[in-house]
Amino acid sequence: MTIAEATLSTPVRHYRTHSSTRRFGRAALLLVGSVLFLGYVLAPIAWLVSSSVQSEREIISKPPHWIPSAPTLQNFKAIFAAKDKAVTYETRRAADPASGGFIPSTASSLLPSMRNSLVVACAVVLLNLLVGVPAAYAMAKIHFRGRQASIYVILTTRVIPDIALVVPFFLFIRNLGLLDSLWSLIITYLAVTVPFSVFVLVSYFESLPDELDKAARVDGCSRLQTLLRVYLPLARPSLVAVILFAFLASWNEFLLALMFTQTPASQTLPIIVASFTSDFTISFSFINAAGVLAIIPPVILALIFERYIVSGLTAGAVKG
Amino acid sequence: MTPSAIIRPARPSLRGALTYDERAALLFLAPLAIVLLAVAVFPILYSFYISLFSLRLTRPGRMPFVGLDNYLTVLSSPHFWQAVERTAYFSVLSVAAIVVLALLVALLLNEEFPGRRVLGALLLVPWAIPYVANALMWKWIYDSNYGALNGLLYQLDFINSYMVWLGDSPKTLPLIANAFVWKEVPLAAILLLVGLKTIPPDLHAAAKVDGANTVRRFFHITLPQLSTAFALVVVYETMMAIRHFDLFFILTEGGPGDASNVVAWRIYVETFRNLSFGTGAAMAYVLALATLALAYVIIRALARGI
Repeated sequence: MTIAEATLSTPVRHYRTHSSTRRFGRAALLLVGSVLFLGYVLAPIAWLVSSSVQSEREIISKPPHWIPSAPTLQNFKAIFAAKDKAVTYETRRAADPASGGFIPSTASSLLPSMRNSLVVACAVVLLNLLVGVPAAYAMAKIHFRGRQASIYVILTTRVIPDIALVVPFFLFIRNLGLLDSLWSLIITYLAVTVPFSVFVLVSYFESLPDELDKAARVDGCSRLQTLLRVYLPLARPSLVAVILFAFLASWNEFLLALMFTQTPASQTLPIIVASFTSDFTISFSFINAAGVLAIIPPVILALIFERYIVSGLTAGAVKG
Repeated sequence: MTPSAIIRPARPSLRGALTYDERAALLFLAPLAIVLLAVAVFPILYSFYISLFSLRLTRPGRMPFVGLDNYLTVLSSPHFWQAVERTAYFSVLSVAAIVVLALLVALLLNEEFPGRRVLGALLLVPWAIPYVANALMWKWIYDSNYGALNGLLYQLDFINSYMVWLGDSPKTLPLIANAFVWKEVPLAAILLLVGLKTIPPDLHAAAKVDGANTVRRFFHITLPQLSTAFALVVVYETMMAIRHFDLFFILTEGGPGDASNVVAWRIYVETFRNLSFGTGAAMAYVLALATLALAYVIIRALARGI
């Protein structure tokens, strides 16, 4: 056997003798991996959902009922009914007939807080597009002095921790007289989300050919027309990603909302949900139902737009 | 913004210094610049300015200049350094777990098999849900009276009676880290998956011909080729872990005792409970600078390793 034959034949033979066991081993490994993966990702959420449809009596059983023996929607009913019920210190001591436990004093703010979250998130999305799209187009397609520097400035604003901005943000918002208004959240969330939006859009615009730009300019399009008529329609995937990121970030944000909001006029969903957890006397099933309501919109968006999110995340992260 | 300035095609500029393109770029960047200057750059500078004063909301109207005293107060406080230690412990624990789990997830999703797309979509669920909901979920799981963790371990006979989890100091930070890791693994896994996809298949094919088995190919091809993606994940997740606040607020409020009193939590307490804005801002500035420095050091160290 020559050397050439040896190097060629050894791996092949090795491959053949093991191929069936190998294929079986691979399938088994993938199956085990998938099951572990599903358990890790879904088990905590499944338990949250399962808890949210248990009555207060069932939820305190030991050991817990993993699958509710008598599933009920009364916790969700209690949430939607809480709006009409004035919960005072006295009345909340009596067990709530619907959930069987105490409902929190902030329960009546839950639905208005969802509305606040929705309004803020939509406004932030809109402003992100208005501010981010032209800037991203300029950075990706127009050659101007200071282009590189502008990218670095935006990069720096992204790495500053938001907790480091709490004091100046608070004084800034207070001096503008915007404490406890939705505007305080819209303005600060815009500043927090727009750098990432710009990164996602810049990397997408850069992937589109420059020739389009030149052709449009030769045809007499202004820069604005080039952006609106040529690039914007092509950039739809990145626009979807930007809309989703801005929406989810606003819907989920907690720290800034904690500082700026004080009354149900501006409190967002995370604030109200967090206020439930600080009270140990209240119904566990009620808290879990509120948790389920808080995760439904983001989970649905994530599952529908999975592909856009993944490509946007990778584009934005690689850039940043 | 005057639309005519943009729509009119390149005419000789009266201002001479700027070309048409530069003026267009200026107009396009102006809204972003205004937002970032007003709501990012100005607060960052203003935060430094505040940190030079003794600003207490409990004593309105008086704001004496104290120079770097706030920084000296913060940096000479043993409580601050204990908080730094806790933040470091929490971050190292979290980032190590995130990297290992994300790598396993990425390796799994890099294979072709039926159901892969479903798993990939489900991976986004923890990433998408609010941290507050995540915190509420784990608080309920860790509950010492009725929680799922106790129930599960009890049914599996690992424990004889229900235990205290978050309320037991040595367990507190690892348990909070676990909740943090669960939510952060998806993003890290997606970034590593992108890294895996960019490895040229020829490399593996060539190594196979050379007789390298799966394990050797993993250590000699996959891992080194992933170094950039690892760097990205480690830097990003370290920054996220250092600044993290939400879980500490909902799960423990810094407790029990001081067991989870990390720097981010201290800044919040100093500012909004003690109402001492000067020292709060100084602490926040130290944290921001430390974060930047750390990101730089990690990038340099990983770059040298590549």
